Amino acid sequence: MGTSFDISYVFDYFVKLLPYIRITLTIVGCSLLIGLGIGLLVALPRMYRIPVLQRFSQVYVSFFRGTPILIQLFLFYYGMPEMLKLIHIDVTKVPALYFVIFAYALHTGAFLSESIRGAVGAVDRGQVEAAYAVGMTGYQAFGRIVLPQALGIAIPVFANLVIAVLKDTSLAFSLGIMELTGKSQTLPTMSQHFFEAYLSLALIYFIISIALEKLFFAVERRLLRYEGDRDRDGRAASGRKWLNRRFSGRLELQKEGARP
Amino acid sequence: MKLDPAFIWTAFIELLSAIPTTLEIAGVSVLCGILIGTAVALVRIYRVPVLHPIASAYVTFIRGTPMLTHLLLILFGLPMLIDAVAESLGIPFRSVSIPMIGFVYISFSITEGAYMSEVVRSGMLAVNRGQIEAAYAVGMTTPQALRRIVFPQAFAAALPNLSNSAIGMLHATTLAFAASVVDINAKAQIVAATNWKFFEAYLAAALLFWGLTFLIERLTALLEKRINSYNRGGVA
Repeated sequence: MGTSFDISYVFDYFVKLLPYIRITLTIVGCSLLIGLGIGLLVALPRMYRIPVLQRFSQVYVSFFRGTPILIQLFLFYYGMPEMLKLIHIDVTKVPALYFVIFAYALHTGAFLSESIRGAVGAVDRGQVEAAYAVGMTGYQAFGRIVLPQALGIAIPVFANLVIAVLKDTSLAFSLGIMELTGKSQTLPTMSQHFFEAYLSLALIYFIISIALEKLFFAVERRLLRYEGDRDRDGRAASGRKWLNRRFSGRLELQKEGARP
Repeated sequence: MKLDPAFIWTAFIELLSAIPTTLEIAGVSVLCGILIGTAVALVRIYRVPVLHPIASAYVTFIRGTPMLTHLLLILFGLPMLIDAVAESLGIPFRSVSIPMIGFVYISFSITEGAYMSEVVRSGMLAVNRGQIEAAYAVGMTTPQALRRIVFPQAFAAALPNLSNSAIGMLHATTLAFAASVVDINAKAQIVAATNWKFFEAYLAAALLFWGLTFLIERLTALLEKRINSYNRGGVA
């Protein structure tokens, strides 16, 4: 410290940090993609109540939701090479970025599996029965009827999760990843203007969050376009409606999943 | 290097000494967060003229940026501000005399306040409008109606979110290492630094956090049962 606030550094660092958005977004994107796969895999045994696997997925979700992401990061960073050595795979040369992505993917997968369960559970049971009544098979009913509706319901929860993952990636610096936060800590070592660097860092995160939120809102409107009245409601009191749906979506997670 | 189960236990015992710090940080920030959150929620619900846009901006900004950046901004910005003010007023007080954990409390409370304001707001909006009208009808003032009628019901409605937020805060205390405060996470690092068994130490830390989270969930479930006992559906 000992340096006085200088606004010009904020702009300077803002521009210098911009290229590192790519790494942050890479972590977010990759972990979300892998997390979606894991989430779906983990949600299925619980939705269909498969005896032993159901227990496993319960413990998995409980562990990853019950421990801090920072602890998980360190756990994977230090633990994975040792575990893999036991089955004679040497990963000491693999960059830390892969471990970070893997840890975030497992973390995200646990949360995603809950939102998938909640969203599928929120689709009206009568919809599935109607699908069966017109002669669809189980897969057809799921793919054509349940999934499109569940997607629309899941979008607000999913959007929150994406933004949460974006904010969580700020912890990757602790394993030496040069993403936005990591860079913002090394940039001002010469000038000692740390506060200005962190201010521009916060601005960048803020802009990305807002952009993501707008994007998901547009996607949600598109997915729910067939529900005319709900859409009109949403526009009338958007803030409050969004909030209600957000929280009711989260509360839904505590109910047991559906058995389509 | 092989997994050393005995060291997990050793680390676990050592980590127990860091629990008070972690719980203190989490407790203080959740309590201050609820206070800030309630104030902000009231400002936003009643649309208080000047404060309303400020409150909205505060919530949006905090929720749109990572908690780590808040901590870093407070850690580097607040001393600058305090020193500048103290110097201009001629007070000999300097920010160096503030312990690091103080900055952690301030920063985490600010973060938690924004998240809590949404929890409080959704809880209050969940209370039926007729309830407050009935309170006015029997002659209560607005503060009375809020305190006696709205808040108890809002608390019951907000409890699941409240506990989620508290658990989130418990997990977020791991960030305190950035301010060199020795919480469970930092303690795990210290414990492992002597013999390089980081995996075992972090496994112990993970188990500890898992246990604490489970405890909070159980307590909330108990509290929820107690608090919702008036709600007997069609029976009443």
